[in-house]
Amino acid sequence: MSEQLLRLDRVTVRFGGLTAVNELDLAVAPGELVGIIGPNGAGKTTVFNVITGVCRPGEGSVSLDGEGISGMPVHEIAARGVARTFQNIRLFRGMTVFDNVRVACHAGLPRGLHHSLLRTRAWAAAEEQARLRADSLLEVLGLAARRAAPAASLSYGEQRRLEIARALALKPRLLLLDEPAAGMNPSEKADLIGLIRRIHAEFGLGILLVEHSMSVVMGLCTRIAVLDYGRKIAEGSPAQVRADPAVIEAYLGESAPHS
Amino acid sequence: MIGRRHLPTLFLVLSLVGIGVLSANSGALNPYFLDVAVGAGINIILAVSLNLVNGHTGQFSLGHAGFMAVGAYAGAAVTLFAGPAVLVGTEAALPHALLFLGALTVAGLVAAFAGLAVGLPSLRLHGDYLALVTLGFGEIIRVLLQNCEPLGGALGLFGLPAYTTLGWTFGAAAITIYTVHMLVNSTRGLGFHAVRDDELAARASGLDLTRIKLSAFLVGAFFAGVAGALFAHFKLSIDPKGFDFTRSVEIVVMVILGGMGRTWGVVTAAVVLTVLPEYLREFSDYRMVSYALILVLLMLLRPHGIFGEKRPTPPPPTRP
Ligand SMILES: Nc1ncnc2c1ncn2[C@@H]1O[C@H](COP(=O)(O)OP(=O)(O)OP(=O)(O)O)[C@@H](O)[C@H]1O
Ligand SMILES: [Mg+2]
Repeated sequence: MSEQLLRLDRVTVRFGGLTAVNELDLAVAPGELVGIIGPNGAGKTTVFNVITGVCRPGEGSVSLDGEGISGMPVHEIAARGVARTFQNIRLFRGMTVFDNVRVACHAGLPRGLHHSLLRTRAWAAAEEQARLRADSLLEVLGLAARRAAPAASLSYGEQRRLEIARALALKPRLLLLDEPAAGMNPSEKADLIGLIRRIHAEFGLGILLVEHSMSVVMGLCTRIAVLDYGRKIAEGSPAQVRADPAVIEAYLGESAPHS
Repeated sequence: MIGRRHLPTLFLVLSLVGIGVLSANSGALNPYFLDVAVGAGINIILAVSLNLVNGHTGQFSLGHAGFMAVGAYAGAAVTLFAGPAVLVGTEAALPHALLFLGALTVAGLVAAFAGLAVGLPSLRLHGDYLALVTLGFGEIIRVLLQNCEPLGGALGLFGLPAYTTLGWTFGAAAITIYTVHMLVNSTRGLGFHAVRDDELAARASGLDLTRIKLSAFLVGAFFAGVAGALFAHFKLSIDPKGFDFTRSVEIVVMVILGGMGRTWGVVTAAVVLTVLPEYLREFSDYRMVSYALILVLLMLLRPHGIFGEKRPTPPPPTRP
């Protein structure tokens, strides 16, 4: 068995009587780009929530590089290299674009009150490092020009990119993108595909991508898992998934997989 | 050569020296002015420290007078009960100064401990619920003190030494402003604002919510405790009624008026709200009413405070 970056083992999540995720097995190899699709309410976001520790699996386990992470606090999972974006954009709206990224560049900062209070040499060096990293990420995501703007003043597409920049600030091994193309027009989507390819290559990340836009998922992912009512009903290459009768069945009555 | 990063420290040292010189010559000042100035200094400490919790971290606490009470009683206990044993009748200035420094420190530490206890519910509660719990805390402290006979019960403690001077007060105020400024103005300090803006996103960005919220409560309560001890050795007598809910509201109004999170705005508001009532003594019965009125008007007209700049929060772009 090859070592997986992320591994979900028969994960089940229940909300009262509703089973949002049902005995899900899923794995992502280091550097792999995997898609998750499924109709509305299929449990895709819940999968992200269970990986990042926002909710606990009722049964089953989640492991990262072989280490069990289910039950850990959200910030510790993040510190272990799992970063995410949110389906309904959650930026720090009262902060500038630059600070939104900088606040997540806290990995190398010295702990202890005296460092902040006395502005020690170690503090100053780490602080400079964090600023440089935040700026370089804004550069990568094409947001350098908006550096000083309040996050809330960005356009919709810019906000999505800022969330990705903030996620990358954690130096993740695994990046979870929840519908990054939602609300984008075709040309923005094409840009986004290019952008995700670029950060995937440049940062050598494993990426798990939830997306309704078939053009984005099919264009990016080597492997796609399909969820319906919390269950994985298919998994395979884009071509395999597209031809799978169970997938077509799941999408009937729903909006058919649009491109 | 001092690096740019040490400018605030330089500023603090210069302020402390300036305050020291001023205080040494304060005998020349009009005593009434001195009284108002000390009152203003104490309010600055209270407002700036509450601003860390309510303004920067976004945790609506209504219990600041409670921490002040804890500090006032702890500080008074040190000078009243431990003082005679430590001083053994000496008149020399230094032992008295050291005793007061000790009293202020103990006051801060005991209040900080209470801050931890009150900060814990903030990990689970939000908004109105947290406001209610902190308000409840303040009232519990008051009732406990009222029924604690060794601490004077409802009558309180009196006969405290008049230690609080302009120098002690503004020295402590300068340190409070410095501490909050240094905590907030750094990459780690951005964590306070991140928690204020979006807790889930903050956690997902690797920020330890527990640590951030508790340190805000801890530091905020510490300085409220120091302010309480200064207040005690300024008024020379304290009783539980002096630290009731209306005191907490007063401090909250200063923070909101000053524009949540803006240190200098909050300092200005603290001074204005100390001086103004002095001029409006005839209307003192209407004090709480006018605070309520100020709050309502502020929320309607300038939700970002009178001295605060508008914080950019236009409605989020809607999903097409
Ligand atoms: N915190 C929660 N409490 C109760 N029910 C929840 C919670 N989160 C999700 N659900 C329910 O779980 C099911 C799966 O939701 P989820 O958000 O994971 O779906 P999704 O696949 O992301 O859908 P969409 O494509 O609309 O984003 C839904 O029925 C949803 O109502
Ligand atoms: Mg979703």
